[in-house]
Amino acid sequence: MPGGFPDAPGAPDPVARFDDALGRGDADAAVEVVDGLLDAGADPLGVLVDVIAAGLRRIGERWQRAEWTVAQEHAATAVAVVATRAVARRAERVPATRGQVVVACAEREWHALPATIIACALRTAGWQTTLLGAATPTRRLSQYLHDLGPDAVAVSCSVLGSLPATRHFIEAGTAAGIPVLVGGAAFGPDPVRALALGATAWAPDARAAATAVAGLPAVVPTAPPLPQAVAAEQAALELAHDRLAADLRVRWSPTARVVGTPPLDGIDGVVGSVVDQALHAISAVLLTGDTRALSWTADWAEALLAARGADPALVTELGDLLTAALPEFPLALDLVERHWDRGLTTSGHLPT
Amino acid sequence: MIPGTAGPAAGIPAPPLDGPGAATRDGDHGPGWSGQHAELADEVTTALAGSLNLRRTVLRLVDLLRPRFADWVLVVLADHRLGRLSLHGGTDPTFTDSVARNPAEELGAGRVLRSGQGELLHVAADWPTTDGLDSLVPHDALRAQAVDLRPADVLGVPLTARGSTIGVLVLLRGGDRGFPAEDIALAERIAGRAATALDSARLYEDRNRVASVLQAGLRPPSLPRIPGMRIAAGFRAAADHSDISGDFYDVHGHGDDWLLALGDVCGKGVEAAVLNGRARQSIRTAVHFDRSPAVVLGALNSALYDDGDARFVTAVCTRVRPGADGGAEVTVAVAGHPPPIVLRADGTVEELAVRGIVAGVRPSATYTEVKDTLATGDTLLMFTDGIYEARGARGFYGMDRLTRLLPVYAGAGPEAVCEAVEQDVVEYLAGRPHDDMALFAVFCGR
Repeated sequence: MPGGFPDAPGAPDPVARFDDALGRGDADAAVEVVDGLLDAGADPLGVLVDVIAAGLRRIGERWQRAEWTVAQEHAATAVAVVATRAVARRAERVPATRGQVVVACAEREWHALPATIIACALRTAGWQTTLLGAATPTRRLSQYLHDLGPDAVAVSCSVLGSLPATRHFIEAGTAAGIPVLVGGAAFGPDPVRALALGATAWAPDARAAATAVAGLPAVVPTAPPLPQAVAAEQAALELAHDRLAADLRVRWSPTARVVGTPPLDGIDGVVGSVVDQALHAISAVLLTGDTRALSWTADWAEALLAARGADPALVTELGDLLTAALPEFPLALDLVERHWDRGLTTSGHLPT
Repeated sequence: MIPGTAGPAAGIPAPPLDGPGAATRDGDHGPGWSGQHAELADEVTTALAGSLNLRRTVLRLVDLLRPRFADWVLVVLADHRLGRLSLHGGTDPTFTDSVARNPAEELGAGRVLRSGQGELLHVAADWPTTDGLDSLVPHDALRAQAVDLRPADVLGVPLTARGSTIGVLVLLRGGDRGFPAEDIALAERIAGRAATALDSARLYEDRNRVASVLQAGLRPPSLPRIPGMRIAAGFRAAADHSDISGDFYDVHGHGDDWLLALGDVCGKGVEAAVLNGRARQSIRTAVHFDRSPAVVLGALNSALYDDGDARFVTAVCTRVRPGADGGAEVTVAVAGHPPPIVLRADGTVEELAVRGIVAGVRPSATYTEVKDTLATGDTLLMFTDGIYEARGARGFYGMDRLTRLLPVYAGAGPEAVCEAVEQDVVEYLAGRPHDDMALFAVFCGR
């Protein structure tokens, strides 16, 4: 059992009960589990990381495996939000003695809950936190940095598509001398992408984030510019995104090749996600040099399609279509040719 | 007389940095000591331009100067508002404190502030007291740090910007390194550039303090918990860095009787936000007497018309009365505003049929109400025109796109509905400018 939570004798595992509440969309039951753990003296950081964040991860996995519809996924996420607020209410009682942290998601990042969990974890650790919501424009972040002069910025990034905007956050923070801590699924399992983007530090989860913030320097130098060639090609790719994505959606038609049981939400819903994700993965690799983002995305797409009864070979076909669509982008083209197919023989990775 | 004082530093003629008189204390420091620092003044200018926040600007200045230029750095700033001296730095660069400012101060920091002239102080290793230091470092804990570094030379240079001396930069070098004349000159150059950045940050902070206080009542409210219901809102100002706009939402009431209001004043930005504040206040006052949406909007109309302002406001008011059965009765009236959408638990989307004239253009107006019942899992969504009039590559976002988007979020809760709509509209805009946007949803159930 994660975290070794104290529990009433004979009661089921709190993690299982929390997952059950998520599955039923029962906010009251979820809050009851969280309150019960906290009342019994559980570490709030443990509740956030091992119960709520872990439950959130399983929500995503269930959608990926087509076990849940979008509505179920959203209802479960809403329950996790309510549960996080229950922890946050207790965190407010902790005196804020350690300085101030602004927590935010950059543009294109609509998963606000991981940032909420990070803010709650930092508040629990005694930091005063200001949480800016999902998809915060860089200008808004800068405004808050000038107004508040915080000790650190913490950026949560779950989707590859938000990494370019996260880089803008890193520029905004470090230009003001403020250290920037980053984390989230889009950074993968190690600090490679974080450091390539110029972040001051990387944390794999909320517990690590609380530790990392305490160790940040008071002042950091402005993040150095990204290599000109890749930055230019990534910017051009971003500008062409809508055109390329629309073109790929037309040419690539997995709907015609459903071979198994009909998918829960229809396969159309995931086609757009896969195409967008593939293009965003190219951008991510250009900016960070971490080619795993590309092969893991192919891998993820394969699992996503397979779970919806589509022919997994479609992912190879998408790779070919990408190659054909990218003649104006030589660096991107080279990356797709060398790394798209690499992940397809293994499976199980999330698109990190 | 201060023992060991070499006199005002500014009085010392500074030799050119690379001129023949550059090395004034042979053997005190290695060759190139000054050369290493020559670019420091430029670095200060560049680095301090990055922030308009006073605290961050001070932190960065201290970080640049220590240990490269001095072993210990203190920034003393005059706070004219409070009549105090704020002190930043020392051994811990994040340290800050403030001390009362004695206006009759004849020594040290006070004198530098008044005269705008620097001072250089030598604190000998065997000097029994801290005479002199107490005036340049007017803080016990900080002074103890400086004393520990004895023997030391302490240089206080004025931070003078735009004709005023706003503070003192106190630099300390331990051992017998001292401050040769060219380093004093460099310190003054650095202080001059830092002072401009610090003064800008101070001005920004003063303005920001005024703006924050005035804005406090115009920001979106935090939402209360309504028994048996969940409410959520989404908000995005046209000016993407701003928290205030012409759109507003509010909730008033208690127990089993609530009024939810959402509105849009004509115009954008601060001017719109001020009118928005008046509209919200009118609604708040009206609700105090009667929670009927038609009565509240009638009062809003009269209050705005009587102001004599030619501008108008559109608004929707929804009275929510949760019942014992888990459902809720809702009563809705609108003033020139699109009616709310009800998203049923089964995914059916209904637009409530209710209309009414905009508020503020006629001496009096009568509003009609429509009633509806929310069952468990139903969501009522109110929104402003910034949502369906968002302009993307393919024209307006439109009501059709909104009603097509909603069904999959049936039963997912008000947060999910607001987030989904906000996300869909913002992604549709793809970075294009947009009007103020507000969403306000009430969901029946826990």
